[in-house]
Amino acid sequence: MKKNKYLLLFSSIGVLLLLLAAAASENFLKDWHYIQSTAKTQDGPIDVRLRQIVNNDLKRADRCVTCHVGMAPGETIISELKVAQPHKPVVHDITTMGCTTCHGGQGQATEKDDAHGNVHFWMEPMLPAKYAYAGCGTCHTPLNVPNLEILNAARRTFEKLDCYACHRLDGRGGTLRPGGDVTGMEGPDLSHVGIKGYDREWYAAHWEKNKTAPDGPWKNAFREVSDEDQKAVTTFLDTQMGAPKLVEARAQFNSVGCAGCHVVGNFGGENGPELSRSGERDPNQLNFSNVPGDRTLTNWFAQHFRSPASTVAGSLMPAQNLSDDQIDLLTMYTLSLRRRVLPDVFLPKDRVKAMRFGVREFASDPATLYSTICASCHGASGTGMRFPGLPPNPSITNPDLLALASDDFLFAAIRSGRPGRPMLPWGERTNGLKDDEIRSLVAYIRQLGGGIQPEADTKPARWVTGDVAMGGRLFASYCAGCHGPMGSGGDGPAIANKLFLQTATDTFLVETISRGRRGTVMQGFSTPSSVRPALTRVEIEAIAAYIRTLETKN
Amino acid sequence: MDEAKRSALNEFWINLKTAPGQIYRAMFRGGAPVSDRTRSSFVFGNVFLHLHSVRTHLWSLKWSTTMGLGLITTAAFLITLVTGILLMFYYKPYPDVAYQSIKDIHFIVPTGRFMRNIHRWAANVMVVAVILHMARAFYTASYRKPREFNWFIGWGLLVTTLALSFTGYLLPWDQLAYWAITIGANIAQSPREITDAMGITEYFDIGGLQREILLGSEIVGEESLIRFYLLHVMILPLILAMLMAVHFWRIRKDGGLAKPKNVDELVAADQKEHYPVFTEAPQKTYQLAAVVKGKTPAVGSGPENTVPSMPHLFYAELGVLMFTVLICFILAFVSDAPLKELANPLVPENPAKAPWYFLGLQEIVSFSAFMGGIGIPMLCWIGLGLIPFLDKETEGTGEWFGGPGGAKLVGWSALYGFATSIAVEAFAIRFGWLREWFPDIPQLVITFVNPGTVITVLYAAFSIWVLRRFNSTRAGALALFTCFLAGFIVLTVIGTHFRGPNWDFFWSPSHWPGH
Repeated sequence: MKKNKYLLLFSSIGVLLLLLAAAASENFLKDWHYIQSTAKTQDGPIDVRLRQIVNNDLKRADRCVTCHVGMAPGETIISELKVAQPHKPVVHDITTMGCTTCHGGQGQATEKDDAHGNVHFWMEPMLPAKYAYAGCGTCHTPLNVPNLEILNAARRTFEKLDCYACHRLDGRGGTLRPGGDVTGMEGPDLSHVGIKGYDREWYAAHWEKNKTAPDGPWKNAFREVSDEDQKAVTTFLDTQMGAPKLVEARAQFNSVGCAGCHVVGNFGGENGPELSRSGERDPNQLNFSNVPGDRTLTNWFAQHFRSPASTVAGSLMPAQNLSDDQIDLLTMYTLSLRRRVLPDVFLPKDRVKAMRFGVREFASDPATLYSTICASCHGASGTGMRFPGLPPNPSITNPDLLALASDDFLFAAIRSGRPGRPMLPWGERTNGLKDDEIRSLVAYIRQLGGGIQPEADTKPARWVTGDVAMGGRLFASYCAGCHGPMGSGGDGPAIANKLFLQTATDTFLVETISRGRRGTVMQGFSTPSSVRPALTRVEIEAIAAYIRTLETKN
Repeated sequence: MDEAKRSALNEFWINLKTAPGQIYRAMFRGGAPVSDRTRSSFVFGNVFLHLHSVRTHLWSLKWSTTMGLGLITTAAFLITLVTGILLMFYYKPYPDVAYQSIKDIHFIVPTGRFMRNIHRWAANVMVVAVILHMARAFYTASYRKPREFNWFIGWGLLVTTLALSFTGYLLPWDQLAYWAITIGANIAQSPREITDAMGITEYFDIGGLQREILLGSEIVGEESLIRFYLLHVMILPLILAMLMAVHFWRIRKDGGLAKPKNVDELVAADQKEHYPVFTEAPQKTYQLAAVVKGKTPAVGSGPENTVPSMPHLFYAELGVLMFTVLICFILAFVSDAPLKELANPLVPENPAKAPWYFLGLQEIVSFSAFMGGIGIPMLCWIGLGLIPFLDKETEGTGEWFGGPGGAKLVGWSALYGFATSIAVEAFAIRFGWLREWFPDIPQLVITFVNPGTVITVLYAAFSIWVLRRFNSTRAGALALFTCFLAGFIVLTVIGTHFRGPNWDFFWSPSHWPGH
């Protein structure tokens, strides 16, 4: 039948045409063909071909330069298309580092949406331009970063002292000597001194030059700098890694106490999940059912910071009432936590310092220590925090506490923590707080509390000899309501905490019961209230004696 | 001496020059296929072609006879075979690595995406075509004697095709694959509903056993992947190929395609169109075949109304093959095969859906695991297999919708089939079912009274009524088959399009929450 012949003929023609179309679209109709055909060098048009940057050590084969042809190795390409422009100058040689190392995305793809990772289910989409500095976190680790307040103050000091007049920092400032590029800048570029190191005695050296120089910038541009400002400048320089926004993001992380619960790199608490590689998380493995907007890691993080419990079911992370700017910085910081496993030659100095030598990612001044570790539970000013559904976190700047608690008591609490509570033994962990740091922290807490010093206590640590049986009855009727039966804790803190009882003196117990804590429900028991009579000294001592017995019971 | 040497060299030279012609003649032993004799030898002298008869009845070449559905199925299989082998060059059957290798095939391997798309679409075309082919064989009553066994083989081919498609589903190791297979495995586990209700699961867990045999472990893991891979690329294709060989062989041994009684009148007009019918007067007739003993249908029939298979049948076959290739290419060109995120056993897809051809079952499974997973499908499978042995009438063989009632009965049955299943489903979706009304009702009651069984019973009742009314088993079969086909379509569409998270009803997937 003719019909069958025609069926064969037309089907075969159709198949042939489709094959041709497929071949044409695979070989000629791709965007990059057009882009490359418009680009030329001084010698004329360039070859239209697939271009790529291969780095076997980093396991990269990035074909991004097929479209972004101006960034291709060894090309000086002129094109009017924005996409084909050269990369802006950066520290790294992009022709060896590759593109996805910093920017993310799908390097092997040769079509825009696929390459940028804006396709459904690609695990590692490109970092949004706004968070581009997060890409540095693939290899680098910000070190010695103070909290945001200190960092900003330090930056202002650096600006106030007009260091930019001679020095260049992140592409800003620096005066060229007469003669331009050949003679160079007045001062060295400070953009990466946090990694590469610098003369810690810079002030003395500067001052010396100022005194000996007959004339010129040394004489005219340098002035005496106060000790405080010197310290601020040093703090600022220590953080410089060429990624100002990333440092700012880490500073934000250091301002709201995240490390109290989360490990990043070589330090942090374990109450929450480790975050060291959170920027590598696959957005497709996350629950987006309560996250409005795009299914991106960025969006998920932002929503998570806004409302942790509604984003991750069962999350105990308290909502911290963060502002949009704070959320933005924290989102960027968590995105930056990529920390690839790198071959040794690619390990940057800062990462080596953090990995092998235990250099911390936060500064060690007491204000930064406090805001990095303590602030999320005890509040930015130490007044304590209450989160729905969780036991309250005590105020540590309460005047009654600070008046009764000795420095040793506070020291021990920070050093050894409170077993069974989120308060971890911060002095007894790898990379934990050193003794002098804890001491400075104790002083800082007193400073937060208005500088209240402990009252002199001449009695020995254990002096109470009361009627334990009576104390037990009194405890059951007056204390157990909040502190739980046998002091096991309830709405009020657990008294029967081993480390607490070890370090609390009898004076501390007796005086706390009798005076109470201002601003809390713990009223002094030496004065009567509407629901109970005042307790006598004997009765209070009996309660303290009873409390002492709890120490051995646990 | 010198003379002889030169002539041998000469001969070699001549042999070399004539080598192409010699190869050609060696290939077509009887010469080019230009006469009846050489056309015949072209067919029977070829290991692949000799599965065909050397002459083909004009009836078989009419498009309306089979609509080429069997050929389309075969062609789709060949396409999946070729593309599948190509994909195997890059595919690595190990969890997570498998996913990355599919990504590589999609993005990096030259033409890899196209090949994978073709493979996926050809597989779907094959499933659709095999179902339609079965419907064609049924509606033309081609299953009747002497073709009962071939229907049986076809029945096995249907199962094998579905199994091939299902095993291929897991291989990309993405969320879609992982959870579809999990659902599929749970369907295999569904006898547990009965053993649970009887409280004997602990001693006799046939459902759990089936599931474990399918997966090779308790969960869908690396064991399952290797198992599915092996089944998909080796065991099932071999089974399919063997069944296909038998299927084709039986077509010829059973006397070609089923033909109506008055076939000679029907093809009389076509006879003129065809050239060549006979290029040389037949010197021997096929009557000689009478020396073969037995009841082979060709025995005793003359070569009337036949044309040489070469080239007429082969044009048709090649035409359908290329047509199928074209369809698969077009689909592959416009639509990419899906690849979701990497499989994650901790994050269930919601809704997790089985492959589309099982969604009708999943819809019934949502009411009763046993009935949806085992009871009703078994009933259908057994019923389908038994059709040739239950309907032994002869009226209407080889005719579309042949038999008492005819096309009109099929039309009414389709209407009834659609209306009933839609009505029952609509009722269950709108008002709920026993569990919603009596929360404490034993599951065993729901196992036997659920939308699936209700639809089945209504279909059976209708079919028995038709059978009595026409006093014909064929009429009853027509009604029942049509009803079930309609029910399959309705349930599959509901399962595919109208079911969303938690298997709730949604008018459109765009109304799903949280997406």
